[in-house]
Amino acid sequence: MLSEREVISTLDMVRNEHLDVRTVTLGISLFDCVSHDVELFIGNVRAKIAQYASNLVAVCNEVGDKYGIPVVNKRISVSPIAAVAAPFSPRDMVRVCQALDEAAFEAKVDFIGGFSALVEKGFARGDCALIESIPEALATTQRVCSSINVASSRSGINMDAVALMGRQILATAAATADKGGFGCTKLVVFANIPQDVPFMAGAYLGIGEPDVVINVGVSGPGVVKKAIDRAIEKGRSSGRPLNLLDVAEVIKKTAYKVTRVGEMIGNEVARRLNIPFGVADLSLAPTPAVGDSVGEIFQSCGLSVMGAPGSTAVLAMLNDAVKKGGSFASSSVGGLSGAFIPVSEDSSIEAAATSGFLSMEKLEALTSVCSVGLDMIAIPGDTPATTISGIIADEMAIGMINHKTTAVRLIPVPGKGVGEKVSFGGLLGEATIIPVPRGDASGFISLGGRIPAPIHSLKN
Amino acid sequence: MQKLSISFLGKDGPGIVATVSQGLSDNNCNILQVTQTILGAEFAAIFIVDAPDELTINFLQDKLEQALGRDQHDISVLIRQASHGAWSKQVSCQPYVVTTDGTDQPGLISTMARVFARHNINIENLKAVLGHGGEDHALFVFEIEVPENEDIGRLNREIHSAGRSLKLNVSMQHRDIFEAMHRITDF
Repeated sequence: MLSEREVISTLDMVRNEHLDVRTVTLGISLFDCVSHDVELFIGNVRAKIAQYASNLVAVCNEVGDKYGIPVVNKRISVSPIAAVAAPFSPRDMVRVCQALDEAAFEAKVDFIGGFSALVEKGFARGDCALIESIPEALATTQRVCSSINVASSRSGINMDAVALMGRQILATAAATADKGGFGCTKLVVFANIPQDVPFMAGAYLGIGEPDVVINVGVSGPGVVKKAIDRAIEKGRSSGRPLNLLDVAEVIKKTAYKVTRVGEMIGNEVARRLNIPFGVADLSLAPTPAVGDSVGEIFQSCGLSVMGAPGSTAVLAMLNDAVKKGGSFASSSVGGLSGAFIPVSEDSSIEAAATSGFLSMEKLEALTSVCSVGLDMIAIPGDTPATTISGIIADEMAIGMINHKTTAVRLIPVPGKGVGEKVSFGGLLGEATIIPVPRGDASGFISLGGRIPAPIHSLKN
Repeated sequence: MQKLSISFLGKDGPGIVATVSQGLSDNNCNILQVTQTILGAEFAAIFIVDAPDELTINFLQDKLEQALGRDQHDISVLIRQASHGAWSKQVSCQPYVVTTDGTDQPGLISTMARVFARHNINIENLKAVLGHGGEDHALFVFEIEVPENEDIGRLNREIHSAGRSLKLNVSMQHRDIFEAMHRITDF
């Protein structure tokens, strides 16, 4: 027999607090699809994706209905295309990207990730072709996401790749200028990219992963915010106000609950598809909907706005408490597993950036204590490529030194400047263009080469 | 030995279970299962007991009523031969939780219960939470056992349609989700 509290609490979380499963992502290895012939390769890829993904959406919906918890997004991640399509030219890479887009459309998923290259220590032939093809590939497709890993704690930072990505981000924005540089919303530059991320745009299936696997992204920040608000109100009315230790405890317990939901639903989807279950990614991923925002959690914790002094401390506590609760709830935690702070995708963070409380510098500081990085930030269209590369290099350095994942997803909006708005629609939201740090990085970026991997002892 | 089912219903107060269990013990009845609940001022309990073959239902009823009267408990007693075989053990079922919430009104439970009956679904537990969402608001929680051969999608649609006819918010969820979220269990 269930208690009243158990039933009411679950109902409230589903109806009023956006409790859901953010994404079920089907990972598919494409290593057995390789061929010297691009047509044959594309045929193999389409066949394999169709074989495993044709029932994905239907099964996710069935399992979601069974438990009364919606699976909001169904997605696919594949092996890094730069590796499995290594012999091909940039022109062929565009065709491969278009084939992935069509496969995603057929499977009725909204995104497919894995148009990716791992170049932290150097470029292979496929890496060069893939990166060269990115502007056209992303401009001519809707659903494909691209990620380029340019740094790691073991290998250091490939500064040639950093320089190149600065230019390619601008070229991708130019190729999608009619849509506000939309192509860049599907392009991320990483340090220490995990192999099993279910969230876009960084999802790809790593080389050490199974042939096919189901990874799950758990519910978003709305549930955590409401739990904190409820506990604070209860504490106030009972004459025992909460302190931060209590708040961390509330976050931990809530993370436990949402992770249990994600893991249970992911496991059942995997079982029904006869595919192994991989990981639950604990990341709090916001959406533009009010009440589903990471930024609002800062206000629940007593800050006037995200970006106010104390914000980095709140984010550190939030991120850590989520990991603690989630790790107890599931033995299969993986992916990014931290709070996301994507500016355009979170209405509260966007408002803080628009009103000047959140600058690029403060966002960079925040990324040192959370996943994933400088995410979905609109910058002026005339930003020099070397400035973008400089921002990437800084963010990669934070990831490399701290042994964590960091990433950069900047959108230089063609023809627009600071203070102007750009809208990407749907989950990607809208943003006001914020200024980039002043100063010139061109001499530094033109040096090229590699920043060596950091020492792994003498930790102070 | 015979198995008897003994129900008690009446005004709640301290000492009822003490009187009843003493009365059963005095008549050599061994309690096998028991459940009790309190609703408002009412007490209700069902005991399933092993009783000696020679003990008649009428004799036991008299003894228990006398004991309750002596201790000044206003409680009715009903005794019958216990039924065999729990329904949910005979049919392979999945446990679901259906909730309806909205303005309290007559016919609410019967509308939902008719849908369950039509699909051969057993209600294992039914609870009303009044006033949770304000005055006149009623939340009903039906814990049900759904035969495994039922079409869950169709059942879900019928339950929602019944709820809509009464302007209620309706949800139907497998029970495991509540267990997973709120309870820590062994492997």
